[in-house]
Order: sequence, then C-alpha cells, then structure tokens
Amino acid sequence: MATDVNKKKKSQAAAVWRRLKKNKMAILGLVILALIIFFALFANFFFDYDTMVIQQSAALRLKPPSAEHWLGTDEVGRDILARIVHGARISLPVAFITIAIATVVGGLLGAIAGYGSKRVDNVIMRIMDVFLAIPSILLSIALVAALGTSMTNMVLAISISNIPPFARIVRSAVLTIKNEEYIEAARAIGASDKRIILKHILPNCMAPIIVQATLSIAGSILAIASLSFIGLGISPPTPEWGSMLSTGRQYFRAAWWVCAFPGLAIMLTILSLNLLGDGLRDALDPKLKN
Amino acid sequence: MADKNDVILEVRNLKKYFKSPTGTLHAVDGVNFSIRKGETLGLVGESGCGKSTIGRLILGLHQATSGEILFNGRNICEMNKKQLHALRSDLQIIFQDPFSSLNPRMSIGEIIGEPLLIHNKVHGKAELNAEVARLMDVVGLSARLFNAYPHELDGGRRQRVGIARALSLKPQFIVCDEPVSSLDVSIQAQVLNLLKDLQAEFGLTYLFITHDLSVVKFFSDKIAVMYLGQLVETADSTELFQNTLHPYSQALLSAIPAPSSRQKMQRVKLIGELQSPIDPEPGCRFAKRCLYAKERCTGQDLALRDFGKGHFCACCQAGELAGNPNFN
Amino acid sequence: MDDKKKLETAAPEGSAPYAQAPDTLLDIRDLRVEYHTDEDVVYAVNGLDLTIGKGESLGLVGETGAGKTTTALSVLRLIADPPGKIVDGEIWFEGENMLRAKPGRLREIRGSKISVIFQDPMTSLNPVYSVGDQIAEVIHQHEKCSREEGRKKAGDMLEMVGIPRARYDEYPHQFSGGMKQRVVIAMSIACSPELILADEPTTALDVTIQAQVLELMSELKEKLRTSLLLITHDLGVVAQVCDRVAIMYAGEIVESGTIAEVFDHPHHPYTIGLFGSIPSLDETAEKLKPIRGQMPDPTVLPEGCAFAPRCPYAVETCRAQRVEMTSAGGTHLVRCLAHQGVFQAPELMEEVRHGR
Repeated sequence: MATDVNKKKKSQAAAVWRRLKKNKMAILGLVILALIIFFALFANFFFDYDTMVIQQSAALRLKPPSAEHWLGTDEVGRDILARIVHGARISLPVAFITIAIATVVGGLLGAIAGYGSKRVDNVIMRIMDVFLAIPSILLSIALVAALGTSMTNMVLAISISNIPPFARIVRSAVLTIKNEEYIEAARAIGASDKRIILKHILPNCMAPIIVQATLSIAGSILAIASLSFIGLGISPPTPEWGSMLSTGRQYFRAAWWVCAFPGLAIMLTILSLNLLGDGLRDALDPKLKN
Repeated sequence: MADKNDVILEVRNLKKYFKSPTGTLHAVDGVNFSIRKGETLGLVGESGCGKSTIGRLILGLHQATSGEILFNGRNICEMNKKQLHALRSDLQIIFQDPFSSLNPRMSIGEIIGEPLLIHNKVHGKAELNAEVARLMDVVGLSARLFNAYPHELDGGRRQRVGIARALSLKPQFIVCDEPVSSLDVSIQAQVLNLLKDLQAEFGLTYLFITHDLSVVKFFSDKIAVMYLGQLVETADSTELFQNTLHPYSQALLSAIPAPSSRQKMQRVKLIGELQSPIDPEPGCRFAKRCLYAKERCTGQDLALRDFGKGHFCACCQAGELAGNPNFN
Repeated sequence: MDDKKKLETAAPEGSAPYAQAPDTLLDIRDLRVEYHTDEDVVYAVNGLDLTIGKGESLGLVGETGAGKTTTALSVLRLIADPPGKIVDGEIWFEGENMLRAKPGRLREIRGSKISVIFQDPMTSLNPVYSVGDQIAEVIHQHEKCSREEGRKKAGDMLEMVGIPRARYDEYPHQFSGGMKQRVVIAMSIACSPELILADEPTTALDVTIQAQVLELMSELKEKLRTSLLLITHDLGVVAQVCDRVAIMYAGEIVESGTIAEVFDHPHHPYTIGLFGSIPSLDETAEKLKPIRGQMPDPTVLPEGCAFAPRCPYAVETCRAQRVEMTSAGGTHLVRCLAHQGVFQAPELMEEVRHGR
C-alpha cells in the first residue's frame, strides 16, 4: 500500500502507545498500577512508618474500618491502610527486581539456545525443561528452605523459578527471526554474530519479552506473598501483603478486614498487571499493524 | 572464447547437498558457469531448482559440499572468516522480498549505513550521513525518508533501500535474487531500469536469478536454464530464444501467457509436476516430464555439450529434435 | 446498520430499477467500499460498474491496492465488517440484489451459485480432512444426496480436473501446489455454479504449473459454460483465459472492452503504461517505459482523475473534475478526458492509433 511520505514520522513506540490507548481495559490496568506506584513512592508522605506502620497499640486492637482508620486496624492495633501502602514498597520493587533478573538471564540463555548450535540448544533447553517440570512455587519454597530465610534468598529463588519461561519464549522468538531474510542480509554485509543478536534479533523479539515480563511480575508478587504467607519470605514487623494475610487469617471470623484488604491489594495489583500485559500483547502484535 | 582475465566469477562443479529426514536433497548438483566483467548472467528456473542456493553459495552464506567458486581467481569455498568478511565489499546481494529483507526496527538511514559502519568505510557521523544521503540519491529515494521505517514504505521504495544497501560498499559483483518478482508490474519496470542504469554507471556484474523468462530476456546478456540442481542449457540471450535446444527450456517458453489478443497459448510442452530433488536417479533429471524422453536419457548423468556460438545444452537429443513437429 | 437501511430503501422491493440485458448474470453498479482503520478511511472501491454476461469470462486487472479483491469479496458479502463497509451501490445477481440478501440466502448462494478460488492453494484447503471429503462436504452443503452419491460425485470432480479418483482419500500435504489448486478448482465447480470468482488463482504457482492450470480453466470454461470473474495482475493470463477485460486503478475501472479492443489498441494512459512496463519476449528493448511515481494513497485519493498525478498527458482539467466512462467504439469504454475531446493530446492519440 502506498504510504504518504509527508506524514509525520511515527516511531514504533508511538504506534504501540496509540494502539494501547484504544484498549480501555489496558488503560484501566495502567491507571491502577500508576496509582499503586504513586502511593508506594510517596508512602512516607501519607503515613509515617514508625508511628503508624510499626508502632503497636493495644487500645486500637482489631478496630473495624472507621473515619480515622479507613481500613480498620490489625491484631496489634496498626493501621491496615498504612501497612498496605507501605507493603507496596516491598512487594513491587522485589517483584520488579526478580523479573529483571529472570528476563536478562532467561533472555540471554534463550538467545544463545536459539542462535547457537543444536547441541548448545539441547543442553540449555533440557536443563530448562527440568526446572519447568517442578511447579515454580514449590521450586521457590525448596530453594528458600535450602538457602535459609532472607530477602536476598527469596529474590534469588523467585528469579530462578522465573528463568525457564523466559528462556523458552526468547528461544522460540529467535528461532523464527533467525530465518528472516534481513538476518541473512545482515550476514551478507558482514555483520558479526554479536551484532546480529544484539542489533537485529533481540530488538525484534522485544514484544513477547515485554508481555511475558508484565505478566510475570504479577506472578512474582503472588510468589512473594505466598512465601511470606507460609513464613519463608519477609518476616514481621515489616509490612508485606502476604504476611499480613497470613497473620490476619486467625482473626478472620471476628475481623474480616484484617484479611480482606491485603488480599484486595494483591488482587488489584495483579489484575492491573494482567490487564496491561494483555493490552501490550495486542498493541505490540505486528500483525495488527494498520 | 572469453578472455581469461575478463572472467570475474567462475563456478566449477559446484555441489550443495542438504540432509533431510527422507534422504539427501541435491539442491545444487554439479554446476559449471562463468561470468565476465560487466556482464549479466540470468539464472532461470522454477521454485526449488536450486537457483537461490547458488546465489547464497557465491556469497559464502552456505558452505558448498564440493566444487569451487573462483572470484577474481580466488576460491570462495576455501576462505576463512576474515577473508570472507573482506570479500563482502566486492560481492553483494539484493534479496527477493523487500518486506522481509529489511529489519523493521531500523530506520532507512541506519539500514543503508550499516555496511559502512561494519566495514569502517566512513569516519564520523557527518561522513556517514553524507554517504547515506548520496546512496539514497543514487537509487532515487527522497532524502526525507532518512528517518522513516520500512513499514512506512511501499514495495518499490523498499527494494530501492535494499539496492542502496548492496551498493554502499561499492561492490564489483551483485547477486540479484528475484529482485522484482514481488513487485507490481509498473514498479517492476522502474526497478529493472534502475538496475540497468546502475550497471552502466558503476560497471557492475550481475548474477540475475529469476523464474521469469521475459524479465531475464530483457535484462541478461547470457542465460543459464536450471532444472533440479543442474544446468540444462546456457547460451547468449538472443541465441537461446531463437534457437532453443533443450525440451525444458522449450516448455518454459511455451508456458508464458502472452499478453496479446493474437497469440494464443500453445499446449504446455511437458508432463506432470516438478520431481523431488531428494536422492534423484542418475540420468537426465527432466526425463520423467519430457515429451521426447527415450531409454538412453536415463542411466547416466549428462554433461553440457557445446553446440557452437557459446551455446551449451545437456539434452542427449539436442539438435535432433528440431525436426519434431511438436518442437518449436 | 444505518448504511444497510439506506441501501434497502434505495430500490423498490423485488425489481431492478434499470432494465437489465436479458443475458446479464452479474451487474455491479456504483459500488463503493471503505475500510475504516484507527485514524484513516481507506477508499478501496470508488463507484465501480461491472457486468458479466452468462457464460462470459471477464478479467479484472490491476496492481496491489487497486481494489480488485475487495470487489470480488463484496459480491459475496464477505468483506469483514469492521473495518470494511459497503457504503453505496447495488450488486444484482440473477435479478437479486446481493446487498439486501438475508444471511441465510447468502449462504445458499455462496458455493452453489457463486464459488470462489483463492490465491493461495496452500492455505485454502483444510489439512485435517482428505481432499475428496472436502469436495464432498461442499456438495452435501448444497445438495441432498447420500454419502455414496456425494463420494461418487466428488470423485467425478477430481477426475474432471485431472486428478485420479484413487487419490480421493489423500490429504492436502500429499499434493503439490499445482495439484492443490486443481483440488480447489474441483471444489469450486462441484455444485455447478453460475459464476466463479477466481482471485489470482495462479499467482502462487510456477510458470509451467500455471500454464497447466490455465489450460484446465480454459477447458472447463468451454465445457461447463460457467461465467468467470478472473482477478489478476498479469495481463498475459487475462489474454489467454478471458473474453473481456476491465482495467482497474485506485478503486475504479479506467478501461474495459473485449480482449482484442483493449489489448490491440489500449486507450487509457494507465493501460498504455502497463503494457510498456512488461518486457516483451518478441522484441528486444534497451529500456522499459515504466509508469512514473507510485499508486496514490488510498486514504487521500486525488480529486478528479486518480491517475492524473502519474499521467504524462494530464492537464489542469484532469485534476479538477471527476471523469466518466465514455465509449471508444464497440464495447470499448475508457475513462479519460483526452478521449472525450476535452483537451488535445496528440502524442496520446498517436500511441493509441499505433496500438500494439
């Protein structure tokens, strides 16, 4: 189709944003996520950490939502809203870091497997298959149990359990792109393997990587919460959604808000990430391009 | 015959086999030809006959199974990585599909400038941009497309980008792998004219790979007809069309629908469909589809025979068939 | 929805508004189709008129984006909506307005009265059913017959397109490209349709295979007396298979007539340009005479004659007013102001007189 060259230059990112904007659910997800990040960033501005998040008070024990404490208080009299907002400061960065590690390591392994010889491919992918055969949460539990409970170990465990899906996705993307004519064209002008991978292959498999990352962050938040829930993650009194849920469940019959609101926070965050991830997948799909 | 010094590329007994689950695929099976400086050799054949594989073997993108490819007297098949890299400046390729041969994430300027960067032909961004602008001008691309992306361009302009990229290193020899077959007719004519102009201007030598006999007649000095990995007939362009010797070339010619109200199509001069190139039986590969096949066509492989005036044909009955009422 | 209502009120129920020639099978009048994308409206077909008589074969020739395929899909109402929309026009098939037909009626017509052959035989067959069963399925869709009858009839169809009946139970992947296209042709003639729409049926095939398929289509055309709308970009294919030809540019017909009329003396500068762009097998030319420039952007079509920006003979008037089709003798119609005597273009007239 003829294209009018007079039209203003549209970069790829702008085109993706234009398509994303049309997807109402994705924008809803983006707005929720932006709000959560905003509150997490300015948590100290709204709620003082020492007085509201850590300090216990027997008098305020298990108070239902009120004008003073919008979401009620927990079993030692701490404001639940304050703890949820500060909890985001743990869950979100940890989730982002784990997925960043998984993306880089998994992506690199996948790219090597896809671009390299059959033998390299076989070795890497069979190892990944072994990891994939174990449910990721079980794998994280086993790793944390073996390495000991600490923040670093938890990050490490969740990262490792997230590597295989990334390796698989990047590998299959690389396998497709490897056979494109522009890769052959790059070889014909004498581009090195390194240049071909970094300049020609990886930029063209960003779409599946970004989508997988967005969706995995949700999974990672859940994993952090799950580990904390069973006592292998963040330990009290640090506010973390999973551990709040875990300690709150004993009081659930008498004070539903102790469990309900941290659960809602987890749900909202994951929902927003999933909506955004789905929207990104559609927006990045080159087949839908105009 | 050709002055030895004039020959820029010579292919000797070139073979390329691929392993496939059902046997060995004979993509290129004992091919010989040579091209003189400034000449265009048209390599014609149907899909799967191995013509594109020859193009990629010449560029060193595939490793030949056996045989020699001499470029300016040096054997490409025996070159190491470094020598091959240096060779890129002299030997380039234009691809068939202008939609998949350009990286969608790179701008037009980046695509055309990439070879210059890789081979350190320019110093500094200003020089690079100036050179890219010059190349865009040479192939008739407007300068404002510098920052555009491939998806914003139509097929004809994309193919011009591919041509500019191939020209950027100032090569002596360009393999054109079906450069116009995915373009519309009116655009196709523009690109063919451009390629002809560039040849005259820069003294380029082309290997022009195509399935379209009318395009090849317009474009080439010499023509080689290929069938299932082997050359069946080579001759000067006019000679081949006036005095077609091989039944397969004859069939190809008869198959072109003439855009004319007066010339009605002849009956197609072959039987059945393309045979498999996997583990072919010895003998003439075309025998199973040939209207004139005899017993002596099978059994042993046939070499190209000289029929004078630079006309070579592999058919064992070539020359005898002229009297046959169906022939010509 | 509004558009459909408008179409319904455009003509009184049951009768064609204009008198129709008795042997006209398909009559398309002033068809307009648009595609609404993110930000643009693509004007794919802009006031197209086309008729096909009973037993006649018409070649619709044009380049990528000329609107050929959209036209064919409109006849069967197969345009995806959204983004596509038939905004205006009438399509009369055997005295019935296709644009007002109910979905049930459309399903009856598709496959039995009008059938389609698509470009790519690789993707138009379902890989999990045997080729014979796929043909039989079409027959069962439209005719009441027993399993055995269907099987026998499908076998007959295979033989008619030159495939032995013994291959009935084989699957598409066991066939080569040319053979697959034969199967697709067998499917399209299985219910003896009145009209076949063939969209670039041989473009994906090699020359020798294309020649065999064209030979088959010409034979079947003679034998079955089916009307054919052949869509292609290849002038050679049209010359060999069709009785009449219509040249399409930017969503409208610019020239039409019998093969002899158009091919011997092309009138429209675009048609002349198309012929100049094809390298000839008979003569040797140093240079081709291509049409300069590119196809116009279908979202912002030029006012007046759509070809004017690329036309070597165009004058101011061409860019100002919409051009109507006028007769150039016989059934030969052309959409060009120079041929209406609005302005003088001696060089064009010389080209036309010289012919090919």
